[in-house]
Amino acid sequence: MSGADGAGEQLDLRLGRRVFRPDQLLVMAIVNRTPDSFYRPGMTWDPAAALERVHTVVAEGADIVDIGGVPARPGDDVDVREEIRRTVPFIAAVRDAYPELVISVDTWRHEVGREACAAGADVLNDSWGGWDARLAEVAAEFGAGIVCSHAGGLPPRTRPFRVAYDDVVQDVLAGTLALAARAVAAGVERERILIDPAHDFGKNTWHSLEVTRRLAELVGTGWPVLVSMSNKDFIGETLDVAVDERLAGTLAATAVSAWLGARVFRAHHVRETRHVLNTVSVIRGDAPPARVVRGLA
Amino acid sequence: MITAAALCPSPPLLHPALTGREAVLPELRAACAQAVSWLLRDDPGEIVVVGPAAATAEWDAAGRLGPAAFAPVPGRTDPAFASATESGHPGARLRSLPLSLGLGAMLLDQAGYHGRRRLLATGQDEPASACAGLGASLSPASPSASGQTALLVMGDGSARRSLRAPGYLDPRAAAFDAEVERAVRTGDLGALLRLDQALARDLMATGRPAWQVLAGAMGELAPVAEVLYCGDPFGVAYLVACLQPQGARSS
Repeated sequence: MSGADGAGEQLDLRLGRRVFRPDQLLVMAIVNRTPDSFYRPGMTWDPAAALERVHTVVAEGADIVDIGGVPARPGDDVDVREEIRRTVPFIAAVRDAYPELVISVDTWRHEVGREACAAGADVLNDSWGGWDARLAEVAAEFGAGIVCSHAGGLPPRTRPFRVAYDDVVQDVLAGTLALAARAVAAGVERERILIDPAHDFGKNTWHSLEVTRRLAELVGTGWPVLVSMSNKDFIGETLDVAVDERLAGTLAATAVSAWLGARVFRAHHVRETRHVLNTVSVIRGDAPPARVVRGLA
Repeated sequence: MITAAALCPSPPLLHPALTGREAVLPELRAACAQAVSWLLRDDPGEIVVVGPAAATAEWDAAGRLGPAAFAPVPGRTDPAFASATESGHPGARLRSLPLSLGLGAMLLDQAGYHGRRRLLATGQDEPASACAGLGASLSPASPSASGQTALLVMGDGSARRSLRAPGYLDPRAAAFDAEVERAVRTGDLGALLRLDQALARDLMATGRPAWQVLAGAMGELAPVAEVLYCGDPFGVAYLVACLQPQGARSS
């Protein structure tokens, strides 16, 4: 199945009240409302620190703020109530401070999605491949957007164990396109649907690298492609570096993915990511450089 | 008769093409090479590789692991092509073996073994009785001219041994794997038949059916064992061991 217009051409992406043209590259800033996420755990666990972080990333050029309450890795259980407690009041506070900002909620659960949308979230960012089939209904109910991802069938918060694919990209395409079709059937507006290969989710480093290398095949479906690669283990294993040393590798993968046609980039390092994307846009000719006088004086 | 058995783990990281530039866990790879070398020292007439898989089945002895399923080869999306180049059989369209058998075949190839081999997969959900029966059938009642069969048993203990393990931490894992190690080390293979199947599955101990095939094949022979490796560097229990039936002649 092909993308929004049936012919594989990228269309405008509508998120919240914003409309983004196909050539616009967007930064989705990560703001985790958890004590134990993998990168700088607890950095934004305190609500005041978290709101301060939102001010910072908006100033640094974030187009979307992605708020999540449950880490991707296994650990102490975070039930629906706790997840709502961590995220929903905060979403309301961010919406209050920024009426136009696009807010996404990083959740796989429809109950959380519903409360988050009621509080002002515009997008349901599900990294677990549609594990909760009712999430799309919530998106439709609130006129929100949804991210259709691939996790290789893994239950949420589980790690890949010897996962193997005949062709990982074909599996990613089949999974994400099926979820996109499900979202359309549920009543989600086509222009509010994104696909995400979900690097490292149900994939080893080789699989994540292959997905990155062949990203054009996802872009070719016509659906806007979101990539979430920031500080991930496939970068770490590529370079043999620890979690806090993966910025350069992340930015390399970001530039490559942007060149190959991805449109939304979920990132911890917003300023640097914004600079990388702006540079790619200018190299491609989609935007002018900021200020040119050298050689012209 | 079963003249010898070696136990090896079967994580994909045993395959040199899958771990990148670094040779990961050289001590584990060396222990496996040592165990297989020991298995081959007396020129057994036949090696039977036993390992867990989705279903019980015998696989073509010419089969090899297609590593492309774990590590896609850039520019080549046909797994058969990748497996053909990896195994050195250009042009042949080979079925990719299940992981445990593929790694067993790889270890035999690495040791330079060109003799007769069989590749037996035991279904992950086979009960102990079926596994033991399969094992017993590997001991021919009337030995032929060579009549000597050696077993290469591929399988892993729990994948839930630590917070960073693929299966996270299950506090029951340590005791389960300790019992397996004890049973192997003391030659008490009957104890392997008493492993709780549901617990093994909960603990992601994929080797359970293969160990029970071993118990069915060698249990009566009260083997003497040497453990060459026992560890869980990545939260999965790996065990390398050699088992020699008591009173078996070494040549």
